[in-house]
Amino acid sequence: MNLGLMAPCGTGRARCRLGGQELKSQMPRSVIHPLLTTTCNSFQMQPSKTQHQGENPVSGSKSRDVVASTDSFDLEALLAGDEKAFEQLVIQESPRLFRVIVRILGDDDEAQSILQETFLQAFQRMDTFRRESKLTTWLYAIGINLARASLRKSRRLSSLEDQEVERMQPSFSRGMFVDSPVEWDPGKMAELSDRQQLVRKAIEQLPEDYKAIVILRDIEEYSTDDVAKMLDISSGAVRVRLHRARGALRKLLDSHFRMRGSS
Amino acid sequence: MKIVHMIKVMLGLAPNCEKVNQFLADYVEGTLNEKTRAQFQQHMDMCPCCGPYLDQYQTTIDMTHDCPCVEAPPELVEHTLSFLRQNADFNRS
Repeated sequence: MNLGLMAPCGTGRARCRLGGQELKSQMPRSVIHPLLTTTCNSFQMQPSKTQHQGENPVSGSKSRDVVASTDSFDLEALLAGDEKAFEQLVIQESPRLFRVIVRILGDDDEAQSILQETFLQAFQRMDTFRRESKLTTWLYAIGINLARASLRKSRRLSSLEDQEVERMQPSFSRGMFVDSPVEWDPGKMAELSDRQQLVRKAIEQLPEDYKAIVILRDIEEYSTDDVAKMLDISSGAVRVRLHRARGALRKLLDSHFRMRGSS
Repeated sequence: MKIVHMIKVMLGLAPNCEKVNQFLADYVEGTLNEKTRAQFQQHMDMCPCCGPYLDQYQTTIDMTHDCPCVEAPPELVEHTLSFLRQNADFNRS
């Protein structure tokens, strides 16, 4: 295995620097490949200046337009069939792609298997890459398709259907809310120890299409355009489904967080 | 909702709740143009429904983003490379 190549390291908000070159990484430190740890520790860490870390002027929240991983490997070498370049692609993208696949499948072992098949297909089909997207987008599209095919094959269906997602959106009459949203209790939200599990289970309930978009857009923070290319749908469809998915998640969380005494 | 704003909404001079909700994702992500954003902001400030809904929508996004990190197994990369060596003409020398 070639460890002389640059490899990703550090946290999702940091860059690795080695020999004057920089690599952006989206991976948390916990997923660094152990064989790379020694090398990574000598990297100089610094906050990324290209990612938007400021507050959203509208919502006051963290900005969501963080750019997905940059294709920092040697594309020409990859397209020429250079195995060392492909090895770097595997090293760089495995952890993040694994995260996406395992969130779709909910099964670690199967996710590892799908990840391996993804890289095998990518290696064998590299000549079909048409440069119409980033190579990573193309790679993730392969992985997501394989993961979704696996879901369908095993007939593990989400508990919600599209129509139910639709029904979970707010209702309007003459343009106005039919039912006022009941405020959420900050105390309840703070004291709920398994809040993260609650959110995870809510995401798992979403229909496949909606779940994939939430994973890619709101968790992994890929751009709308990248998500559209990965899922082979329009950017408009990504935006609409993301909005509906968020509305459904809000509804699923609502009963846990609403003020006491509210029905 | 303040009466002046309500009249504006009824006259179609300001966005109503449904319109605001339809473009909530764009509003949250700050991709609306300045004029529309200002109209939406005014609606949020005046409307007793859209303000709380926006808070919950944003909280949902934040909690989703903070969903527990999935940790890749330490042997993931090595296993993948081994798989490629076994199943493709990859790095066998």
